This record gives sequence, structure tokens and C-alpha cells, in this order.
Amino acid sequence: MSELAIRYRRKTARHEIDVSVPKGGVTRLHVPDEEAKAHLVTAMLKARCESDEELELFGESASALAPAERARVRAKVGAVSPIVGLMANLNAWENISLPAAYHGRPTLEQVAALAREVLGAFGADAAVFFARLPEELGVLERKIASFVRGLVAAPQIMIFDALEDGLSVAECRHAARFEAEYRARTPQGTLVYVDTREEA
Amino acid sequence: MLQALREIEGGIQLSLNVAARAPRLAIPPIFESFLRQVYFTGVTAATGVVLRACLLGVIIIAALMDMLDADVDLAVKILLLLVFRELGPLAAAVVVILRTGTAVSAEMAMMRISGQTRALRYLGIDLYDYLVLPRVAGVMLATAVLTFYVQFLAVLGGLALSPFLIEATFTELAGRLFELFTPVDFYYSVIKSLLFGYAVAACCCWHGLNPPDLTQNAVPKVVTRAVMQSAMLVLLINAVFAYVVFGILFFGLVKANV
Repeated sequence: MSELAIRYRRKTARHEIDVSVPKGGVTRLHVPDEEAKAHLVTAMLKARCESDEELELFGESASALAPAERARVRAKVGAVSPIVGLMANLNAWENISLPAAYHGRPTLEQVAALAREVLGAFGADAAVFFARLPEELGVLERKIASFVRGLVAAPQIMIFDALEDGLSVAECRHAARFEAEYRARTPQGTLVYVDTREEA
Repeated sequence: MLQALREIEGGIQLSLNVAARAPRLAIPPIFESFLRQVYFTGVTAATGVVLRACLLGVIIIAALMDMLDADVDLAVKILLLLVFRELGPLAAAVVVILRTGTAVSAEMAMMRISGQTRALRYLGIDLYDYLVLPRVAGVMLATAVLTFYVQFLAVLGGLALSPFLIEATFTELAGRLFELFTPVDFYYSVIKSLLFGYAVAACCCWHGLNPPDLTQNAVPKVVTRAVMQSAMLVLLINAVFAYVVFGILFFGLVKANV
């Protein structure tokens, strides 16, 4: 049996969710509703669970984590999710570089190089893209900015929360590149797609 | 009553947090945010206060000339005391509350409601570090600078008008002003304006981060509360300063002759 990156359980009066995500793979999770999705994504991002939840990240129980350990585990999780949106008063570059500038690693030169590379893969002009405020970006562009910001931290788990929401068919094809871009930089990483709908 | 206690406790907690984090102002994005705040509160407000500050000095000198029967020495002294010690810091604080207080509280409330503060936490960015500290420090510095600017313009306005009301030249009046001016006037207004800035920014940040609910309707409520309480805090600090400095420290409690 392969090692698990995520183990999550939640039992409510309406439904029971039991999720196991193997380490290093690509897993698509379909939860019953938005509320359940928000709970699941929030628990993973916080590395913390409510009383009706159980969460294990890389074999460590979230409820038993000390604050410093929790911060360490949280740093391993990144997401492209409406829950972790962009700052409205910062342009795309400031949004992408904010965590790195705050934490002091990686350097801004490294962030700029990574961002240019990823934006190039999506056919975007980095200089124009960087200068735009989130309200001036399209839905896909906002997701790209959010994805690049997530990539900068080199997370071991990347969550794509309702990735295709608000995207056209053509844009969905573009968004499918996220997986390859993530894989190219974190080959051992775990990808998790979370959505409320069943695939056709 | 419970709400008031919660707000006082929150205010104290926020103040302690900001004080403990002051060295983190050197972190690049926090320092950038601090500079933006100084620019918004200090620089962009500067042009708007020119006319108001000049008119303030003009009104004071015109009223004093009428009341004091053209006693130049006393008028200049009162202009100095009023403008430097009381009205300058107060006028600057009013401008800061109206422009920055409303903007900060509304911006923070919007960030809280739209989930941007939550996003910052998930990115491992402390809200006090990134949102509160640069705003409080920026507003403090900008309020002090704006106060000095208002004082300068008000005194200049007052002195410029005086030659039209009394038989004294601008240079005579300015010379008398510099004779009367003491460094205490400067220190007093700087300390007071820093405290005003601190109170306004801390109060507005606290209300912005603690809206009554997470709907759009909470924004105007937050702004109203923040502005009202900021004004109250500024007046309270002013009263405490007046009591301590004029009532006890310098002259002892003054007894009125009835």
C-alpha cells in the first residue's frame, strides 16, 4: 500500500466524507456540496480540523500538531482556490511575490524567473501581466497568478479547488497545463483536484 | 457595556502587538506598505489642507485683534499657543480621521469580508505584520508631519493677514513670534500628534478587522464606528494632555478667582 499524503474524514448528519490521497499521485475528489468542499480545502490549508473532522497530512495527525509543527506542515500545502484569493489592491507581480518577499525566500529574482517561465508557457506577456490589478485580469489569468504564487513556495501538495469554474472550454484546456507545470518543478508532488461535480 | 469592554481589550491587544512588532517594519513588503501609507496620509492630504490651515490662522488673528483691542504681543502669543499646542494637532487629526481613518477602516473591512485576510493567513503572512503595523506607523509619522505643515501654514496665514488689521509689519510680527517660540511648543505638538495618529490608526484597524458581520452592510457600520471612536480618542488624549501639561506639570492646578 502506497504512503498517504492526505487522509481526511468528516461525518455530518447529511453526509460522510472519507478521503485518502496517495503521495505523489494525481487525485480527483468529488464532494457533495460547496460547504463540504470549503471544509475539506480549509482543513488542508490550515492543517487543522474541526471537532467533526479527522485529518492526517503526511501521516501526521493535524489535531496533535504543535503550533510550530503545524506551520511546517502548512508550508507543504499550496492551493489555487477562491479561499486563497488575490489581494485586490496589489498588482499581479506584488501578489505573486508577496509571500516570498515577506518570508525572505526564495529571492525576488528567482520568483521573477519562475513567474516569467510559467507565464511564457501560458502565452502571457509577463511585463503586461505583472502590472495588472486582479480586477483587470480574467478568470483564467487570476487562476494563473494564484498558481504561480503557489508554485513559488514549492508545495508538496497542490490543491486545485474548482479549477474549471468560470472558465470557457478553451480556457479549461489552458488550465490543464497547470498539472504539467507543477510536475515539471515538483516531480514527487501530490496533486489534488477538488470539485463538487462528477465528471461527465 | 460588554461590547465596549471587548473594544477596549481589543485595542490594548492590538497596541501591544504593534509595539512588539515594530522591528518587522524593515521587511520589504511591510516597509513598502508603510511608505504607501505615509504617502496617502501625509503627501496627498498636504495640498488639501493649504487653504484650510491658512484660513485657520487668519480667523484666529482676526478674532484676537477684535477681542484684545490690537494687543500685538498677546495676539501673537495666543496664535502660537493655540495653533502650535492645540489647533494644529487637532486640525491635522481631523483631516487624518476624515481621509485616512475612513479609508483604512473601509479597506480592512472589505479585505475581511472578501476573504483577503484569510488568504494572507494561509500564505503564512501575519495580519498584524502586513496590515496593521505599516498603517499604524505610517499614520503616526504622517500625522506628525501634517501637524507641522498645518501649524506652519496657519501661523503664516495669521501673520500675513495681520498687517491689514494692525499697524505692524509681517517681519515685526514674525520676529516677535520667533522670540516667543520655545522648543517645548514643538515637542509638545509632536508627541501629541504622534499619539493622535496612533489612536486613529489603531482604532480604525481594529474596527476594520472586526466587522459586526461578514456582509457588505458591515462596511458603513465599521467606518461610522471607527470615525466616531477615533474622534473620541483624539479629544480624550487632548483633554488628558491639557490637564497634565497646563493643569499640573507647568503651573499646578489653577484656581479661579470668583
